Amino acid sequence: MRKNKARRWQTLAKSWADTTIKAFYIALKDARVYYFKAPNFTYGLLIPVSLYLAFSMAGNISSKLIVAGLTSLVMLFGTTSIEAVAVVLEKQTGTLDRLLAAPVSLFTIVLGKALAGFFFGLILAGVVLFPLAAISGLVILNPLLAVVAIAFTSMAFSALGIVASSYAKWVPEAQMISNFLRFPMVFLSGTFVALETYPFQLQVVARFLPLTYSVEALRSSIANSTVTFTYAVDIGVLALFTLMFLALSTVILKKRIA
Amino acid sequence: MPSGNDIEVVNLTKRYDNILAVDNINFEVKKGEIFGFLGPNGAGKTTTTKMLTGQTRPTSGTLTVAGKNMVREPIEAKESIGVVPENSNVYDEMSAWDNLIFAAQLYRVPKVEREKKAKELLELFGLYERRKDRAGVFSQGMKRRLTIAAGLIYKPMLLFLDEPTSGLDVQSSRMIRNLIKDLNRTGVTIFLTTHYIEEADQLCQRIAMINKGKIVALDSPEKLKASVEKHQIIEVSFDQTRNLEQKLSTLKGLEKVVQFGDKFRLHVRSTSEEVPLLSDFASKNNLKIISINTLNPSLEDALVEMTGLSPEIMANEKEQGKKVANVG
Repeated sequence: MRKNKARRWQTLAKSWADTTIKAFYIALKDARVYYFKAPNFTYGLLIPVSLYLAFSMAGNISSKLIVAGLTSLVMLFGTTSIEAVAVVLEKQTGTLDRLLAAPVSLFTIVLGKALAGFFFGLILAGVVLFPLAAISGLVILNPLLAVVAIAFTSMAFSALGIVASSYAKWVPEAQMISNFLRFPMVFLSGTFVALETYPFQLQVVARFLPLTYSVEALRSSIANSTVTFTYAVDIGVLALFTLMFLALSTVILKKRIA
Repeated sequence: MPSGNDIEVVNLTKRYDNILAVDNINFEVKKGEIFGFLGPNGAGKTTTTKMLTGQTRPTSGTLTVAGKNMVREPIEAKESIGVVPENSNVYDEMSAWDNLIFAAQLYRVPKVEREKKAKELLELFGLYERRKDRAGVFSQGMKRRLTIAAGLIYKPMLLFLDEPTSGLDVQSSRMIRNLIKDLNRTGVTIFLTTHYIEEADQLCQRIAMINKGKIVALDSPEKLKASVEKHQIIEVSFDQTRNLEQKLSTLKGLEKVVQFGDKFRLHVRSTSEEVPLLSDFASKNNLKIISINTLNPSLEDALVEMTGLSPEIMANEKEQGKKVANVG
């Protein structure tokens, strides 16, 4: 009985190791094919900076809000923009068939694609957060917590991009779905303003959006040196969003290729 | 596999909304066999191949590939197969080398082994000198060769080849056919989908013909030909061809007449009775016979006879294949 249990755990561990390694190979391939190209970096930075400038017209915004908001936005736009087309392009060029015929599960493909976006988001956030904090004279009280918040955010947004990409049949459709998901988030998640200033109903809506938790976790890591309750909840919710988006992408992709 | 089959298909059906793409088909592919899968466009060839390779799920039926149930154990089943799709689907942004290495990584081939195999395959397919070039700058023929190499990077026990020679020049096509034979000699089972009936005739030990989602013929090429040998064929050409097909169809003892370029193939009950009639026909119509030959039924004749598909459809299929081949 005990031996059987141990064997089952061994099989499960082997299967997870196999999934992770193959997903990593897919991520490396995606990074080479889709991500690490100069236009993608500039696009990931351009829209968030433009949005920040639009918000800043409304009045003075504290450097804490700017740094947290902009860092979250570059990850949102950077990862979802490319992630949204990464699956669609594979469908269009027929390379998805190559992946489907290989001994990899649909979840492995989705996870691999999410990992590529995750690394891309990390780099973009690194480019924005620390230089921006240095320029604005902002002290990040716990840089490690900030990095953890960035990591969870990047994975959640990357997985969100795949939801759009799995559903869409062609690139413009993927971009449309992606914009439909992220632009309302920018205005409803308290990106550059305190969420408490929103009407109650909008505060409730904001609680269903991953950007809200990303911005909140980053602000918390800037203002606190220890893990606060809010920070822990934010990270937990971002992890839940990631799992939900990955599962949803797998289900949608399964239906799309059926 | 205890049954000695590498593929077993039982009551396999695939439905897309209201379209029945594959209709309750049954067949098996024996271990070590080269099995040809033929059919006109839209017959259900690609859908069947996609189900066999785990790229799409069947609506109903059982599908056993390399001893594993493709629906319940897809990863285990795919670990034993190699797939060369009809379209050359390599990554244009990656080099030839990186494409092969990535294909090997998905099968978890160890680093030293995958690099050795990639080098061997690139040399075999004449691409080693261009290994660092992006696949996007390759010609159609080079991409085709790279796609086939990617399907062989992990030595499979069962190889699915979908139109492997389309897009290739004559020399490369011959090389691929020899490679298929060599792989088969080493024990690899081959599932070959092709437009070229002659290619299937040369390579395959058995063939299946699918039409409108149903298997309409399944046997060895020679047995299929033998089954229609009751009909004899005369191939004749005259000094002109205008309106002759219709006139020839009035000849006695004639079952069918088909025009092939400047020649006519007459399916007759007896060649000895028909040749004098043809001579009379030529004199009456002021025609000169340029050539006259008796032919054994080809695999194509057999398939036309058995499937009821018009010879024109078969000819179109062949022409499409040739056009693609000439591009390379």
